[in-house]
Amino acid sequence: MLDLIYAVLVLVSVLVTVQSAHTLYLTLYTWDRPPAEAQAPDKFKPPRLSFTVMLPARHEEEVIQATIGRVAESNYPQELIQILVICRADDQGTIDMAEEKIGQLRQHGLRNVEMVVFRDEPINKPHGLNAALPHAAKDVLAVFDAEDDIHPDIFNVVNTVMEEEEVKVVQGGVQLMNFDSSWYSALNVLEYFFWFKSRLHYHARLGAIPLGGNTVFFERSLIVELGGWDEHNLTEDAEIGLRLSAAGERIRVVYDSRYVTREETPPTLGHFLRQRTRWSQGFLQTLHQGSWRNLQTRRQRFLAFYTLAFPQAQALLGLYVLFSIGTMFYFKAPVLVALISFLPVMMLLAYFLICTVGLYEFTRAYGMKVYPRVVIGMLIAWIPYQLVIAYASMRAVGRQMRGVSNWEKTRHIGAHRQQVAYRTESLREAGDRAA
Amino acid sequence: MPPDRTAAPPRVLHPPELRSDPPREAGVPTAATEGLRSLGRPGAIALIFALLSGLLTHAYHLFDYPLYQTDEGIYMERAWAVIREHGLSPQTYVYDHAPAGWLMIAGWVELLPGHFEAFGNPVNSGRVLMVILHVASTFFLFEIARKLTGGLLAPLIATFFFNFSFLAVYYQRMALLDNIMVFWVLLSVYLPLRRRGHLFTGLWSGLAFGTSVVTKENAIFFAPAIFYLVYRQTKENSNKSFVITFWLIGASAPIVTYFLYATLKGELFPKDFSFNLSKPPQGHVSLLYEMWYQIHRNSGTLFTPNSSGLQPDYLYTSWLPRDPYLLVGGTIAMLICLWVGWHQRQENPAWLVAGGLAFGIAFYLARGSVILDFYVIPLIPLYALCIALVADRMLKRIPVATAVPSITILCAVLLLVPSGGSPDGGYLLKHGQQGQLQLADPYHVPQTFMQNSEIAWVRHNIPTNARIVSDDDIWVALHDVKPVYPYDQSHWNAASDPQVRKKIFGGGNWEYIDYFVMSNGMLQAMQLNNGSTSTSSGIEAYMLYALKYHSSMVWSVNRGQVHLQIWKVNH
Repeated sequence: MLDLIYAVLVLVSVLVTVQSAHTLYLTLYTWDRPPAEAQAPDKFKPPRLSFTVMLPARHEEEVIQATIGRVAESNYPQELIQILVICRADDQGTIDMAEEKIGQLRQHGLRNVEMVVFRDEPINKPHGLNAALPHAAKDVLAVFDAEDDIHPDIFNVVNTVMEEEEVKVVQGGVQLMNFDSSWYSALNVLEYFFWFKSRLHYHARLGAIPLGGNTVFFERSLIVELGGWDEHNLTEDAEIGLRLSAAGERIRVVYDSRYVTREETPPTLGHFLRQRTRWSQGFLQTLHQGSWRNLQTRRQRFLAFYTLAFPQAQALLGLYVLFSIGTMFYFKAPVLVALISFLPVMMLLAYFLICTVGLYEFTRAYGMKVYPRVVIGMLIAWIPYQLVIAYASMRAVGRQMRGVSNWEKTRHIGAHRQQVAYRTESLREAGDRAA
Repeated sequence: MPPDRTAAPPRVLHPPELRSDPPREAGVPTAATEGLRSLGRPGAIALIFALLSGLLTHAYHLFDYPLYQTDEGIYMERAWAVIREHGLSPQTYVYDHAPAGWLMIAGWVELLPGHFEAFGNPVNSGRVLMVILHVASTFFLFEIARKLTGGLLAPLIATFFFNFSFLAVYYQRMALLDNIMVFWVLLSVYLPLRRRGHLFTGLWSGLAFGTSVVTKENAIFFAPAIFYLVYRQTKENSNKSFVITFWLIGASAPIVTYFLYATLKGELFPKDFSFNLSKPPQGHVSLLYEMWYQIHRNSGTLFTPNSSGLQPDYLYTSWLPRDPYLLVGGTIAMLICLWVGWHQRQENPAWLVAGGLAFGIAFYLARGSVILDFYVIPLIPLYALCIALVADRMLKRIPVATAVPSITILCAVLLLVPSGGSPDGGYLLKHGQQGQLQLADPYHVPQTFMQNSEIAWVRHNIPTNARIVSDDDIWVALHDVKPVYPYDQSHWNAASDPQVRKKIFGGGNWEYIDYFVMSNGMLQAMQLNNGSTSTSSGIEAYMLYALKYHSSMVWSVNRGQVHLQIWKVNH
């Protein structure tokens, strides 16, 4: 019996180590490739493509006006841009703020912003996008979130990439910025940093990519052909990415620190937990829904399965962390078994070191400064953060089993805008130029 | 009309501190970059010549010369313990060396159809592995020299010394941790040169280096030069922070694992945290105490041996006679490399890397501690590299028509002139005792037959239950082939391993000894070990007493300076 326990311990340790090594590889994938593969073009082509910007918003009174302003004032011909602010009829607060901003813009001569208000259910982002789809009139659909701090040249970047590389789908970089605002924010920021700068490139190269929820650009006809977004999926972005991949569509990821869309970490642990639960449950839904099975190669299907099932693995890993801590104190194993069971711990340490370097890389790229206390805080938060994510994954499984799939909204307060206030002046300058 | 933004993208909107990643390949223009080009036909021929000459010089006469050494026996018996007993040593493992080297030997032996007896004497299995590693190391050295200089002359010169030097052939044939360590060190240097700036190259190079340290700890002296190389190879790359971090992670992983092993065994710290060297703590062995002890061992310096006279003067009696060209030339070349490398470090880090690598191990040897004769092994490829770099630079300044014949004549002299300033003759030829021309000792003199005769005599004349004090070089032969001699132990363990001393030799009672199977080298080691340090004072006295007053010689064989004898203790 004891031998069996040892064998299981060794097997699990080896599997977790292999998985960790693979994750580490994906985390740093892009740093092993020529930088040009990920970067935005250095010279823009003349604007040709037109864009319909879809801005779904719910209870976003605090941030919606600034976001509309940034999109409207981007460095792209206004006649080539249509902005649709999407709200549900019961969200009068956001509607009022959006209409106020639209009025202000019209006074400045910007008349390309419209409201799309829907009344039916479900109340979620994909339904809002589908509701707005018939109103979209331009070549390319661009999806942004209500709190997004977009770069004024993002449409030039996408226009150039789509024209030069003949791709119909582009995923732009999204980056959380406020790495120093809570105990978990640095780790949350790094997740985005590594996901968009590195891992998504690997997915794109293999042709099995769960797209992000914003700064994503589709040729409109593609989405119409696909029948829009899946309204019953909590991660409709990932789902549509896999559907596009299954259809053989080549997807280009552009992460360039000059042009990323800036966002904020969830303001409280509760919001963070709910956001993570939604993502995990969405991945679980996508896994069960099965569009990933239509991917062409076994390698693509494995990658999709691995990615979608990973939140559940994270839940188990969370339990394994607790189990491991218990065995350290209460279980005496042979030295070789104990050595092997330490391999995941060593991978964890390696991953922490890589994250620390990543934090310095991130702040260097964005002209910020990181203090040692942030690194120490990250070290202290490391295990609790993993446990929170594991709990969110377990919560997602519970919700899915109970048939609960309502959209738990993440609140946005504009922390990223406070942190990078210096950029506002530049953007305002851009707006003035555009006007 | 919208403003035309296509001609000049409106970069003015970005804060100046926002930086984009620099291009990956914008590295320092060094010879290393030039060396990345493909080998080509001449290069392939040169490489094949280097590999074949390495194979021939090391494999020919391998099982006959040199004599099986004590340390070869120690590592073979520890590999035996890994396979047969699933432990790190058949006796108490005292953390005298990290175990990666004999774990590798064990892995190799496990693959062989006849395990330890695949090639006759068990030590031969280890020696075959050394030849394989030597050929691999030759490849690494060839490529390192090629990538550092961008030409074929330097790799040919470096591998010439590495393959033909008498010093190299003599020591590199032995199944020693140092040879395994050299393999890992050269691999660690080769990897960053092979794929400049690639992310995971840092990890693999670091892992190779970490493995070299847990093979033989003195590899740590290479760390500054290899780290500098990795740093220079990634200096201009956007991924440099990750490459360097990966190198550090890779290098740390094997070392951390070793410390973790000791921790899990409860053997990291000495009992009661006592680091008193004059009164070793009892109870259990300790990694940190052993390290503390090793750091404080001192037997004079390389140039001034200790006053007891028991510590052999290896530099003058063993190393220089075997190859003065390599050692003197290598030292001068190392200094030139360091001088030139320091002044040209911005343009070309190659010289500083080569000089730094050689200096690291030269410093280790010269700094003053216990030195064994085979400790010169890691110096050989790096001195060869330094000589190659300097020769390459010098020969590039003279016309090809002069350079090629010059180098050919020089190599021919070293290979074929039987004396040429060296007491032991040329690399391939020497004069025999009657003045006749003959192949040099490594290809001509049989030595190990004496030890095989000794083992055969033991098997025919000594009962298996006899308590034998012997040397480690025959240990596996007496323990792995049936009938085994379970009470045969080396004098080291009979002296210092409490378990062996107590259970087999009555706690250090001469009357418990039945036979001595020994060489003159073992006798010298016994005398040295009996009183060389405060902690070892008198620990071999009971054996020396039995040998001197109660034993009679029953068998002996003598050849040159080697004397093997078997003594029976008269109770």
